[in-house]
Amino acid sequence: MNLIEAEILYENSVKILKNNQHEKGGFYASPPGTRYPFIYPRDHSVAILGCIAADMMDEAKKGLEFVLNSQKPLGEFSQRYDIDGNDASYKDLQIDGNGLVLYSMGKYFEATGGMFFEKLADKSFVEKHWETISKAVEFILMNKNEEVDLVHTINSIHEYPAYEHGFEIYANCACCAGVQAAVKMGAALGKDVTTWEMEAEKIKEAILTRMYSPRRRSFIKCIRVKEKSSNPIGYDAFASSVIDVDVVEYAPAYFGIIEQQDIKNRYTVRRIHDKLWDSEIGGLNRYPEMWDRNNGGYGPWCHFTCQLASHYTAIDDQDMAEMYLGWVVDMAHNYLLPEHISTIERFEIWFEDYTNAKILRDSKLTMIENVRNHPKWKDGMAYVTIPLIWPHAEYIRAYKNYIEKFG
Amino acid sequence: MVRVENMISKAFLLGIIEMVDKDGLEETTDWLQKIGIKLAEIEGPGFEGAREDDINYIPLCPFSNILLDFIQMCGERPSQFTELVNLSNRKMEEAEDGWKYPALTTVTGILYHSYTTKRAELAGVELLNVGSKCPRTHNNVYNEKALERAGMNKEEVDKYLERSYYVCKMQYPDKE
Repeated sequence: MNLIEAEILYENSVKILKNNQHEKGGFYASPPGTRYPFIYPRDHSVAILGCIAADMMDEAKKGLEFVLNSQKPLGEFSQRYDIDGNDASYKDLQIDGNGLVLYSMGKYFEATGGMFFEKLADKSFVEKHWETISKAVEFILMNKNEEVDLVHTINSIHEYPAYEHGFEIYANCACCAGVQAAVKMGAALGKDVTTWEMEAEKIKEAILTRMYSPRRRSFIKCIRVKEKSSNPIGYDAFASSVIDVDVVEYAPAYFGIIEQQDIKNRYTVRRIHDKLWDSEIGGLNRYPEMWDRNNGGYGPWCHFTCQLASHYTAIDDQDMAEMYLGWVVDMAHNYLLPEHISTIERFEIWFEDYTNAKILRDSKLTMIENVRNHPKWKDGMAYVTIPLIWPHAEYIRAYKNYIEKFG
Repeated sequence: MVRVENMISKAFLLGIIEMVDKDGLEETTDWLQKIGIKLAEIEGPGFEGAREDDINYIPLCPFSNILLDFIQMCGERPSQFTELVNLSNRKMEEAEDGWKYPALTTVTGILYHSYTTKRAELAGVELLNVGSKCPRTHNNVYNEKALERAGMNKEEVDKYLERSYYVCKMQYPDKE
């Protein structure tokens, strides 16, 4: 890996985070005038985690303030918000947003001192927002199925209900980690969080047993169930499992529910690498090509590649960490990272599929034009949505992890 | 086709018909509006759907699958639905503050409009429904007073209605 280029990309990623935070606190998913000029709690939370890693604590706090003030009356953080914090969703429930907001707040709290550094921790901030935290936890628990102790959602990280409607791995891990974070913050404030602690433990246990396949040696993507309160779920209209590989099957370790070294995680990551590392252009795809929801063409995603780079760093596998992180550095264009990368051929296959099926929405036309006009098109590559803020935040985290261990 | 699992939506539409027969058009309209407002208060401030600058539009017609299914089941559009739509659109044309009304094409639009305008109001925004497209006939309906208040014309609205069913101008108090 070219360490000088890696360092410049880090510095630019920090600038990108700073430049894409609206004065009211929200981090755009992509800059104004591009594809996602809204604040998505999922992307926004990862941007906050990036700020914490880059020691941008004021920005992190401002970001948290924004999203906590945007909570809906029932405790939900919705799919997306406008810059004023008004709900601007166009999709159904994505409960991982609740988990992520709590998780990033917990990380902020820890970074300001946490429960072991009484004088430093930003307890007043947590106290100020305690009611919001409580409602966010209760909303998660409201969506937990009592029969299997897993959290139900319609959408998750890929916003793709066909494979995510039910008990989905990323959503469950985010929510479990979010409740765990709320427990830690509550304990530091002297609140009674015994019930939440028990509930988080139940979710964790269900993830480790119901969502792990010992024969496949991997976590699985989703237990598909239509209704959150179905009981027994075996009679639910959707009752089935999604056992295809998905990059977010790494979520239990990503959210710290299990150790990176845990054998369940290492086997899972091995399956992810074997099946999703792109043999043609490198980098990590998010799910199998045959799911055929490959907007802009099938190809690897920068932020997922960064996540797995951090895994390899954590388990001291420098060769793999360098391969993953080095690929991200190589793919940056003018030190900007796209959502994902494809080839012209794959882009055209996707375009043909969606045109013939008549499912090419108007909103995709700008993205198509931008991909075709990007300088990388002439090199045979399709750069889709550049820059996206999320990969820059994940890169900051992965780069810091790498440098701290191997630098 | 009625199945127990999906019966509640059809029961609601049948309930509208029963309510018109029992309590009349005004009461039914009021009832639908109140439901919309209560649901909006539960959900909080916000705007569903696509947005371009100050235009909020809905690419898929809300409730249209359920509504069209129900009409098919009935054999024709129930007269009570037609009367409710006509009453609302007459008020839209005659009332001084006609911009507050929806450009109504379906009976469920009464519920939908009260829900969306209340959520917008909670966000400090006046939502003007300048035009809508009927999911059954594909005819466009416009609210002339809302158009005037929004400073828009029908041609501008038509551009959105080509790819959507419900078009609103988001009117910010400080932009008036």
